[in-house]
Amino acid sequence: MTPWEALALLLLLFTGVLVVTLKNAIHAALALIGNFLILAGIYVALEARFLGFIQIIVYAGAIVVLFLFVIMLLYAAQGEVGFDPLVRSRPLAALLALGAALVLLSGLWGVNLAFAKDLKGGLPQALGPLLYGDWLFVLLAVGFLLMAATVVAVALVQPTRPLDALSPEERKEEKEVVR
Amino acid sequence: MSYLYASALLFALGVYGVLTRRTAILVFLSIELMLNAANLSLVGFARAFGLEGQVAALMVIAIAAAEVAVGLGLIVAIFRHRESTAVDDLSELRG
Repeated sequence: MTPWEALALLLLLFTGVLVVTLKNAIHAALALIGNFLILAGIYVALEARFLGFIQIIVYAGAIVVLFLFVIMLLYAAQGEVGFDPLVRSRPLAALLALGAALVLLSGLWGVNLAFAKDLKGGLPQALGPLLYGDWLFVLLAVGFLLMAATVVAVALVQPTRPLDALSPEERKEEKEVVR
Repeated sequence: MSYLYASALLFALGVYGVLTRRTAILVFLSIELMLNAANLSLVGFARAFGLEGQVAALMVIAIAAAEVAVGLGLIVAIFRHRESTAVDDLSELRG
């Protein structure tokens, strides 16, 4: 492990800790952007250049900005809200997270992989034939899923019908009710 | 291998965040952290076994985008209705 790798992984874990501990939601989202940028750098180091740029454009650029929009729209920057039904549950949560980490690390224990496969730089030229070959149906399914998600998002946040949208007869009835 | 270990630790951090955060938006941020930990291990395995891992990571990113769209739509709808995004307020599962 070179010093640069160690630095990148340490920064990755540090920004991850910031994401789960910072009190202000906006600060947590900004830490998440930092986490994603470092992750993009690691992807480039792992010969996944296309994925690295997608990580910056889609994740840091679109998804987290959407998060920031919603946080600011709802004035939900305050992370500690409501009552705490399980008082001092943090150590328990830390213990459970530690257990998850141990399970995952025990799965990796003793595995020795050679990270030396030639991936042609992970450029679109190398990914394209796979994406439109073996993975074509997965690609189509994901496309359909994205369309469904768009429809659901629009349907969910649609406001109840405003008065202007009523037909003339309905509006007349509405006015009579108001009188 | 250090990348895979880091991915495991990052996933555990996401688990901790999901368990401790009390706002729905911050729970979502932790879920994103977990998705990215999985992505990191996929890309790491791609370096050892071949390009398929990177294609899978690409699919995970697309699915995460769909999940965020639906999730944030839900959060906005719930906030309109209840003036709150605290997950503990929603445990009754009724309007």
